[in-house]
Amino acid sequence: MSASSLPADRDAPIRFAAAVLLSAVFLAPLGMALLTSLKSPAEIVQILSLPHRPDWGNYAVAWNQIGRSFINSIAITLPGALLSVLVGAIGAFPLSQLRGRTGMIIYFFLLTGMLVPYQIVQVPLFDLMRHLGLYNTIPGMWLVHTAYGVPICTFFLRNFFASVPKSIFEAAMLDGCGPAGYFFRILLPASKSGLAALAIIQSRSIWNDLLFAMTLTSTDRARPVTVQLNALTSGLEVQYGPLMASTLISIVPVVVAYLVFQKAFVRGMLGGSSK
Amino acid sequence: MLKMTRRTALLLAASIITLSSAASAQESSSEVWTYWGSGAEKQAIESVVALDNQKHPDTEVTHRVIPGNTLEMRRQLQTALLGGTPPTAYQSAMGYELKTFVDADQLASIDSVWKQVKGDEIFPRGLQRVVKIDGKPYAIPLNMGVISNVFYRKDVFDKLGLQPPKTIAEFDAVCDKLAAAGIAPLGNASGPFWSMYNFYAPLLSVLGPDGYFKMAQGEVSFTSPEIRKAFELYRDTFVKHYSKNWSGKTWAQGGDDLVNKDVGMYMMGDWVSAYMKERGLQPGKDYDFFPAPGIGKATLIQVDVIATPKESKTSDNFLLTAASTEAQASFNKYKGSIAANLKTDPSIYDYVGQKEVKQLQASEAENVVLPNLFFLLPTNLGSEMGNQLERFASDPSDATLDTVLKTLEALRLQDKEDDAFVNW
Amino acid sequence: MSITSATPGASRARLVYALFLALPVLLFAVFYLLPVAETILTSFQKWNGLSAHRTWVGLRNYTALFGQERFLHSLINNIKWLIFYLLAPPSLGLALALLLNREIRGETIFKVIFFLPYAIPPVAVASMWRWLYEPSHGLITVVMQSLGLGALAQNWLGNPAIVTYAIMGAALWWTAGFSFIVFSAGLRNLPSECIEAARLDGGNAWQIFWRVTFPLLWPSTIIVLGLSAVDAMRIFDIVWAMTNGGPAYASDVLATQMYDVAFGRLNMGQASAIAVTLLVMAAVFILPYITYMARHVERTEA
Repeated sequence: MSASSLPADRDAPIRFAAAVLLSAVFLAPLGMALLTSLKSPAEIVQILSLPHRPDWGNYAVAWNQIGRSFINSIAITLPGALLSVLVGAIGAFPLSQLRGRTGMIIYFFLLTGMLVPYQIVQVPLFDLMRHLGLYNTIPGMWLVHTAYGVPICTFFLRNFFASVPKSIFEAAMLDGCGPAGYFFRILLPASKSGLAALAIIQSRSIWNDLLFAMTLTSTDRARPVTVQLNALTSGLEVQYGPLMASTLISIVPVVVAYLVFQKAFVRGMLGGSSK
Repeated sequence: MLKMTRRTALLLAASIITLSSAASAQESSSEVWTYWGSGAEKQAIESVVALDNQKHPDTEVTHRVIPGNTLEMRRQLQTALLGGTPPTAYQSAMGYELKTFVDADQLASIDSVWKQVKGDEIFPRGLQRVVKIDGKPYAIPLNMGVISNVFYRKDVFDKLGLQPPKTIAEFDAVCDKLAAAGIAPLGNASGPFWSMYNFYAPLLSVLGPDGYFKMAQGEVSFTSPEIRKAFELYRDTFVKHYSKNWSGKTWAQGGDDLVNKDVGMYMMGDWVSAYMKERGLQPGKDYDFFPAPGIGKATLIQVDVIATPKESKTSDNFLLTAASTEAQASFNKYKGSIAANLKTDPSIYDYVGQKEVKQLQASEAENVVLPNLFFLLPTNLGSEMGNQLERFASDPSDATLDTVLKTLEALRLQDKEDDAFVNW
Repeated sequence: MSITSATPGASRARLVYALFLALPVLLFAVFYLLPVAETILTSFQKWNGLSAHRTWVGLRNYTALFGQERFLHSLINNIKWLIFYLLAPPSLGLALALLLNREIRGETIFKVIFFLPYAIPPVAVASMWRWLYEPSHGLITVVMQSLGLGALAQNWLGNPAIVTYAIMGAALWWTAGFSFIVFSAGLRNLPSECIEAARLDGGNAWQIFWRVTFPLLWPSTIIVLGLSAVDAMRIFDIVWAMTNGGPAYASDVLATQMYDVAFGRLNMGQASAIAVTLLVMAAVFILPYITYMARHVERTEA
């Protein structure tokens, strides 16, 4: 840890070596997944063996299984993540400003939501979504992910907004900028790296959601990748080759999302919080 | 940033428009739900669905995969039944699973279909008993998996000059010889099922088939000397020969051990045969099976059945198809299991399947084709028994045995009090 | 530090805040309160989840639970997870974030690598780690053997005394990416002048980290620790997918027990009682902690 604050020239090689070593540990399980995805069933019994001849058949099976749902997942995740971050920001802003009891109570109340085990909300939720006519629709999934994202997004951004110095707010007020103006013109741009981090976290959690998708979608019209991916492990035998192949395919969009939002991190820093 | 917010606002507006347009589309659900989600199992059920759609084009059904297992299926059914959108038919377990849904007034009796397909003639009698509740049938059995056979490496046995054992003493001797040759005698795997399936042979050798059903009906105390004897016999025939670390493996990893000759024998449902074949082994040459020692003439089966919720309308046609030898042949050929309809042409089976069919016929002649106890006991007791047996198998001490038996007996008494047992 | 209520702008500000809060609070009320109320009701009933028939049993579901060995064991496992989640993934995530916070060759590649596991769905994580932990031929055992540590290799997922810690190993790999992302974002937002100033004052790296960087990172730390605590109480996916809570309940946590009781044994009343207990416990122990930490920020700010 201390290494990061030493002058770069002296410890750069040490940090680089540490990063390489850690990367190897982080990659080992994935490397095994990659190997497995290239093996025929007969070869999988030898856990650590190299595939005799790369068997791309697993990728064909995988794509066949998840291809259609891939598009659904993208259509659910992108708007879902953006909407939930937006709603979270809207909720977090007043909570980061209100310092009285009211603010604290509302905040506490929203936080309890984070502790509700999602398994228990499924039946009432199913009824609700059917009554709204949103069962098995992609917009329905946006709504659900936005709603269930409220506690975590509010919590996340409230704390992030708290790291923006108070003096900026006061200066803005003196400049005659209302709270809404401050929120849109100053606070949001100043919190870009936080918003981007949250967007990554939300994208990943929406992309990986299985429970809500199982309850609220039934056909190819709205079924996401996770449902199809899990089908590979249901029944008696787990289809390891196709499972690993589809896993590797399915994490690509999340990594892309990470890289895209990651850019916003950097821009957030360069743009700075100056008005 | 303001621009981005505007864009988001646009997106929000767009979503509301899509929302309202989507709202009009409602689902019509003529679906068959199973958790056969991939590979041969999926092909198997989809061949039945295709056959049905060909036979009954007016009542078309589609297959929907419920990824997961029985638990997830129950969760989905709960949601759908309470929400009033039941599937046409669904994959269920036999026995107590059906009883629960019947008690909840969610299942329709399939009396007319049963008569039409002559259910009382085509399915094994032991199996008929457990798809009927109070004498009325509620489901069509689709396939059977035999769970009372021990698979062994024939090549290894040949090399060591070993014969498939017939008695408990012979089994013990074979185990010792395998161990002496440096091969762990017997594989097993973690989870509440496998140890319990292994336990059935000792149980049957003590209780006999009648006692087995008595136990399913809650009439045998877990603290009785017989049950203790069965547990001890299980320990002395099976547990002591289990390979090291078995409890850290899935059933498929246990299968890998047999493929890799790390173990000589593995008592597992017959699906392990399909697993080994897929890995390039030849049945009858590389591996074979024998009935678990002590089991007598009985053959134990694990069964998948198709049940129909009360509210569904098109179900009769699908059930008729599912019971037909044509569908059963197609399904079981893909899945590598045995058709529940005994009239099905045996030529669809491979070496293992044909041998099992003969075994089942011999058992059927004595009326000792026995359904898996796990699904005959009240659900909470079956699950608990599986867990307690796994616990006992990993720690077979007398102290553990006392706790295990006490726990199970307490639960049995509670279920007795709740009047939960069924007289199959 | 509160908004001075004397200014005429204050009431307008309050109105704006109320408007801002309306949508989140509405969503929350509809999607959380209703199901929770329903669950609380069910926790006083005997119900198998399928039948129209429910019986009122008062506190029986709760009293049965508190005397149950399995329940207490699950609870203890949740506490173990809590301690683990508060310590391990945040420390590793912070270390990784600090490691990459300054110029380093291949920064983007390293970032992706540290992030990757976090992107993997739990069922796949579980499948991978079931192989890694295969007791005879799995990667971990084999690597240990080749390092001459074979004697220390364990029956990772089969030994009741070890299984929970083994799953934690997988969880560390899987979730460190979360803390890594949040701390990276937090570090990006730090005013670099403060650290520069401290360095000019002659502080060494260790001192600068603990006296300047870490306190400034406090809002990120709250996010990480708060969400980790919540995740620990609610943990389900990875345990269920890896062991179903087994062998023989050894790795059970409250959420897996709840799922098993609800759908494995069709006892919705008792499952609801577990859910309510979880909620109450978390509300009593975790939330005050989170709010305390949040207040702490405000104090340090003021």
